[in-house]
Amino acid sequence: MDKNNKIPFDEDNYTHNINKNNERKLDRRGFMKTMVGAAGLFAVSTLPWGSIAATELMGLREKKYAKKEIIDVNKLKVGEAFEFAYPTDHDSALLVRLGDNEYRAYQNACTHLRCPVFWEKEKSELVCPCHHGFFDVKTGSPTAGPPRRPLPEITVQVEGGKIVATGVKRYET
Amino acid sequence: MKRSYRGVILLCAVLFLNIIFTQKAVHQYYYEDYTATVIYAVLNLVLFPIALFIYHKEKNV
Ligand code: FES
Repeated sequence: MDKNNKIPFDEDNYTHNINKNNERKLDRRGFMKTMVGAAGLFAVSTLPWGSIAATELMGLREKKYAKKEIIDVNKLKVGEAFEFAYPTDHDSALLVRLGDNEYRAYQNACTHLRCPVFWEKEKSELVCPCHHGFFDVKTGSPTAGPPRRPLPEITVQVEGGKIVATGVKRYET
Repeated sequence: MKRSYRGVILLCAVLFLNIIFTQKAVHQYYYEDYTATVIYAVLNLVLFPIALFIYHKEKNV
């Protein structure tokens, strides 16, 4: 075994530890098998999306949303924003007061990769800091950066001095 | 022996469609267009037997 003492020793270093025949060989048929397996994997991976969509189609087309108080009108100055959660405690949302009687509320998980979106008062824009996504505060639609889908809008109204969330708008298709 | 690579090419095409349908299904899901989501998911499911069929036809040519 004195070949170990010669550097470099005469051997193919990348294959010397392969023992089985054809261990490193991906032939045509093996490749096709891999592709079929991948097709199966893709099929299975869309199943959950498809089935959730199907249940969504069967039941509640018009979802019912409970009303929820967000904040007192006089606690939110014009140009300020307030973070809340709607419809469940896990869906964070952002309310912006644009004028004396003009409010906008959106679910503020960025439509790119779900980072929270913030209100940039100086620029009057909604900003996602993760990859510099920008959203129009009037409509929720993306104006720059990676997001392609508008933020889901939450309908709000003023009731007895309080701003109340009443539902989430569906996308028009 | 001259082999046919038609199967390889066809299966690449199938995989390409798989990627597109998966992407579309997920996006349409977030757009709340559930009909489209179901259609893309079904298309993706249908591609698997097609891939199997291609494999069986092409493995020995
Ligand atoms: S997560 Fe908002 S831009 Fe990427």
